[in-house]
Amino acid sequence: MAQIPNLDNSPLNLKSLREQSQKDLVKILKDIRGKKCLVIEPKLGGSLSLIIQTSLLKEYGIELRHLSAEPVQTDCTKVVYLVPSQRDLMKSISSHVHDDISKGLQREYYIYFVPRREIQCERILEEEKVHHLITIGEYPLYIVPVDEDILSFELDLAYKQCQVDGDTGSLWHIAKAIHKLESTFGVIPNVRAKGKASVLVSDILDRMHTEEPMNSSDMALSEINTLILIDREVDMVTPMCSQLTYEGLLDEFLRINNGSVELDSSIMGVQQEGKKMKVPLNSSDKLFKEIRDLNFEVVVQVLRQKATSMKQDYTEMTTTNQTVSELKDFVKKLNSLPEMTRHINLAQHLSTFTSKPSFLAKLDMEHTIIEASSYDICFDYIEEMIHKQEPLVNVLRLLILFSVTNSGLPKKHFDYLRRELLHSYGFEHMATLNNLEKAGLLKKQESKSNWLTVKRALQLVVEDTDTANPNDIAYVFSGYAPLSIRLVQHAVRSGWRAMEEILKLLPGPHTETKRLGFASSPSFATLQGASNGLDKIADGRRCLVLVVFVGGVTFAEIAALRFLSAQEGMAYDLIIGTTKMVNGHSLVETFFETIG
Amino acid sequence: MANVSVAAEWQLLYNRYYRKPELYPLRWKNIDLSRNKVACAPFGGPIAVIRDDSKIVQLYSESALRKLRIFTSSGVLISDTVWKNPGGRLIGMSWTEDQTLICIVQDGTVYRYNIHAELIEPNVTLGKECFEQNVVECIFWGNGVVCLTEGGLLFCIPDFKVMRPCQLAETGTEDLPNCMAVIEPKYTVSGNVEVLVGVGDGILIVDEDGVQRVDGEAVQGPVQKMVVSWDGKYLAIFTHDGRILVTDINFKGVLLEYNCEADENLRLIQSSLPEAVEACIDAAGHEFDVSRQRTLLRAASYGQAFCSTKLDTCHCSATDNLQITFQRDRIQEMCKTLRVLNAVRDPEIGIPLSINQYKLLTPSVLIARLINAHRHLLALRISEYVGMNQEVVIMHWACSKITASLAIPDATLLEILLDKLKLCRGISYAAVAAHADKNGRRKLAAMLVEHEPRSSKQVPLLLSIGEEDTALMKATESGDTDLVYLVLFHIWQKRPPLEFFGMIQARPLPRDLFISYARCLLWFWWPSSYYGHLFDNGGQNEAFIKCYKHEFLKDFFLSTGQLQEVAFLLWKESWELGKNPMASKGSPLHGPRIKLIDKAQHLFAETKEHTFESKAAEEHAKLLRIQHELEVSTKQAIFVDSSISDTIRTCIVLGNHRAAMKVKTEFKVSEKRWYWLKVFALATIRDWEALEKFSKEKRPPIGYRPFVEACIDADEKGEALKYIPKLADLRERAEAYARIGMAKEAADAASQAKDGELLGRLKLTFAQNAAASSLFDTLRDRLSFQGVS
Repeated sequence: MAQIPNLDNSPLNLKSLREQSQKDLVKILKDIRGKKCLVIEPKLGGSLSLIIQTSLLKEYGIELRHLSAEPVQTDCTKVVYLVPSQRDLMKSISSHVHDDISKGLQREYYIYFVPRREIQCERILEEEKVHHLITIGEYPLYIVPVDEDILSFELDLAYKQCQVDGDTGSLWHIAKAIHKLESTFGVIPNVRAKGKASVLVSDILDRMHTEEPMNSSDMALSEINTLILIDREVDMVTPMCSQLTYEGLLDEFLRINNGSVELDSSIMGVQQEGKKMKVPLNSSDKLFKEIRDLNFEVVVQVLRQKATSMKQDYTEMTTTNQTVSELKDFVKKLNSLPEMTRHINLAQHLSTFTSKPSFLAKLDMEHTIIEASSYDICFDYIEEMIHKQEPLVNVLRLLILFSVTNSGLPKKHFDYLRRELLHSYGFEHMATLNNLEKAGLLKKQESKSNWLTVKRALQLVVEDTDTANPNDIAYVFSGYAPLSIRLVQHAVRSGWRAMEEILKLLPGPHTETKRLGFASSPSFATLQGASNGLDKIADGRRCLVLVVFVGGVTFAEIAALRFLSAQEGMAYDLIIGTTKMVNGHSLVETFFETIG
Repeated sequence: MANVSVAAEWQLLYNRYYRKPELYPLRWKNIDLSRNKVACAPFGGPIAVIRDDSKIVQLYSESALRKLRIFTSSGVLISDTVWKNPGGRLIGMSWTEDQTLICIVQDGTVYRYNIHAELIEPNVTLGKECFEQNVVECIFWGNGVVCLTEGGLLFCIPDFKVMRPCQLAETGTEDLPNCMAVIEPKYTVSGNVEVLVGVGDGILIVDEDGVQRVDGEAVQGPVQKMVVSWDGKYLAIFTHDGRILVTDINFKGVLLEYNCEADENLRLIQSSLPEAVEACIDAAGHEFDVSRQRTLLRAASYGQAFCSTKLDTCHCSATDNLQITFQRDRIQEMCKTLRVLNAVRDPEIGIPLSINQYKLLTPSVLIARLINAHRHLLALRISEYVGMNQEVVIMHWACSKITASLAIPDATLLEILLDKLKLCRGISYAAVAAHADKNGRRKLAAMLVEHEPRSSKQVPLLLSIGEEDTALMKATESGDTDLVYLVLFHIWQKRPPLEFFGMIQARPLPRDLFISYARCLLWFWWPSSYYGHLFDNGGQNEAFIKCYKHEFLKDFFLSTGQLQEVAFLLWKESWELGKNPMASKGSPLHGPRIKLIDKAQHLFAETKEHTFESKAAEEHAKLLRIQHELEVSTKQAIFVDSSISDTIRTCIVLGNHRAAMKVKTEFKVSEKRWYWLKVFALATIRDWEALEKFSKEKRPPIGYRPFVEACIDADEKGEALKYIPKLADLRERAEAYARIGMAKEAADAASQAKDGELLGRLKLTFAQNAAASSLFDTLRDRLSFQGVS
């Protein structure tokens, strides 16, 4: 199974989107004649693995390298850099060029910026006095389809840059990406945004429409009915909780990267000492598609059932006389054997983590914090984690959860815990703490927390969750319904208006926009109708809602969204856009900054 | 012309009829084509004429200076200029697809002219090697050229739009070729130019990467001349023995060997009315003579009317009906096309396009050519007539208008321009404004750019006309950070620092972007002209430059009163010093590093809100001092830059309990933390005796859990058992027993705690052990029996 997902079942024609990106890349490579060395920034390389197979690139006379500080070793005279527009990378490229010059190597340099060239990068090349030696181009990759219903804008640092640095460049990028989608799939008539960054994205998008108006024929063809923009800032509780779906847990413990996990091949039953292997995880794997969004407890049961039934079939096969068609059926079933083996291996590996008392204790603590009923127990637990010098990310994750639900910590506790952190992990983490404070994730309490009100009003804690036969999204966290998805649930069903009061309790403004001039529904009557619910559009097709998470989304949240869309009486399909697939760890890590 | 038989003009050639009508009597005077080099653009384009300097000619009453003259197809002079370009003889001259005249001289310099005989800068050269050997021949195609030098080297410009010359592979033969032909890049498999070179007895195919000799029956003996067909599919070869062969471009067989026997199998045309009508319409299209066009169209119209009346009386089918409407449309369409063609064919305009050429050229290119010749009104009319976007025409008109209206005041001219510009939605006001600015009309430019809706176009222009404040505002509004950076860098370089700070201070996005950029400047060369003098005595000292770079950001924070940010920068710098091996060598470490941290601490202390940071900085400086002392006294460089907790652990691991205690007291480490640290440290060195002693020093303030955990983690059950019974919490006790596999003791503790849930969990832990499992079940049953769970 390939890492590049099969997109045949996507509610949008994402395949065409991906093919365009393939073509764009191939054109760039073809236009540079002759043999060349392609130097890709490693993270970007990961994203590209979802667009095109690297083996295909080699057909265009390419030597492939990853960008690092080390000089590029190659016999090619043409060096082509493919890099995101990031300032820090310019330093490496400049030093490569200087290194070549000092060695008397004459090379032709090209930089292709993804998704566009930016003056802040070129400026550094100028300062390094190499700009005139380099041919600069763009590779406009704004969107990477991660799976049939997930689009990633591949902006790893978006949340931190917006919240800490005040650099909103990523928001422009998101708007541009949505604008691009609209140019293919039609202008989206309804836009709902919650959170400061989301509202900004919606504003920039509107601006793009006035600057480059699309003709009205595009409007009529709109395939996406509604765009919902949610800021990660609105709900920092959910990503700090441990995800309990199968895919979520895989991500928590093994880190899913660009739709695959890398682990020791021995875990997958391949006896090659110490060798790593990549296991792709996407909807092309039918069994994975079936179980990825289930609570992990249930996954173990499902796998056991399947294995048992297969064993039964096998016994019947060997003991009774079978007709040819029965044989055929059996062989068909056997085809799913590799998938079965793969997931049994993975699940077994996961349970070595989930059965640890420390994991259970952590889950307990997360629930206690969310319940917000026993402040002291939570405080003591976190204090002890610091004293035991447990990994800093783990501590900060729980501490952020604690601070956010309490809308900050009393000054005394805030200062005490920060001091204990600096004493235990080193003063260099002052910068990290400062970042977290700027982002409002770990701060001094200034007002009473309204978490209890929000929790109650949105029914975030659901007692007696039946993870095997769930009737609510709360099953993804075994009893906690992710706040972000509750908001989407309401936004889809009845728009913001019905929940104004709750929205006001959450960070950032909210807006609801109707794109006027939309060809088929200018009248007030339809406007009213549409905002009261999406339901079906005229020809009976299911409506499509694009939910964009500004600042990242977790697999558990996506599982909850898929659960929603699969509910009876929900006449819409969902497609998810995100700055990046994240989890608590990867989010917290973006705030890490050691002084120096 | 009318009284000559129409049929008599047609001549049979092979199996086709051809005719050669005279389009215009050329209006020029005294042009002897034999004395001149001439380049005619296809598609009724202009004609360039210049006296041929490779021929010796007698000068009549004319200047010795040569003149390059450009005429329309009808011989009306468009422009001329004196040719005084250096570089030797003019070897090749040809028009490109966009009607640029390319002139190549001996030394390989390429001069370009527009149709107004204005030189287009910069001149391009074919390269050094080409310069050293004279160019002797040029072969042009639509948009490129291949040049041959005296030394037999081939140079190529594959695309005049890019103008990047390259050398082709060397043929390796000493003789100069007999003849050459070019296969255009768009027709080759590789996408590169391929040159067919007739040399010696054969033909070579040459491209950038190599040379290949051609085999095939078409190549037998020297070739005198070669021509590639317009679609790149065939090649005609004129052989040494006077035959003309046509071959497939890949030399797979001879398709045609020319002899003069005509194919007498003329197709018999069966005449039927609709076809005749079609033929009349087509013929009208191909006709240049306006009265004959009329005659033919009238005939078509008449026939078509007859068709329809005939069909009216019958039961006509749907397809017949369709055909009638189709024909009606075609006549209308043809009228329209002919109106356009006749308009441009007018001798005053002088573009004698055939209908096929017009279709190949497309209306938009024709319009572009008209604009280029400054025929705006006609261009506008045609674009309106054929229903095309008038943007290009209006734009060009507006620019020409500005150039030509030096005397008209800004406000008046603005009105004139807006009046026409508003006809066209989406037109780039910024482009017009830029043109106004280029013509020295800055105020007009400012007025125009106000109307530009696209910030990406508006902002750069605002900058170039000095409207920096507006530019910064518009860029920020757009949300496009790249535009904001554009403005930032512009102002940053042009204004003194304080003025620059003032401009961005109250604007969050530009301010934050500046800070974020300036932070990374720590690592980069900083070329601002305002600070140039600082480098004079600093020389190449890396540290100095880094220092300085932070200074700029510090200046900013100081000017805005953000002392804590300056403090953070200083703190960061202290770390930098620590990482720099040069800094710690030689000079006592605590010197410069600690000085920086002290400075930071004082700055933090200036504001009440940063007491915490101030204290932390103070502690950090103190820690460094203590760690430095420890390194001196232990002679081990393992302390500096570890945390306080790690320092304590290291001391204990080294057995230096006094030092550990000192660190504890210095930093007021709480008893809680102290116990965890010491227990873990003792477990690390497996000093179980010391651990036990420590447990008995006094009643541990956080109980015995740290002791239990440390022993279990170290896999020392025996040691753990010393402390488990002392755990006060029964549940903890149960779990601890469970962790070391003592099911019965775990069960006892759990049932004492009366925790059913815990019993269930423990049972799972012992799932493999049947005896233990049943034990938990029994205990749980007893609990639920008691009604406690």
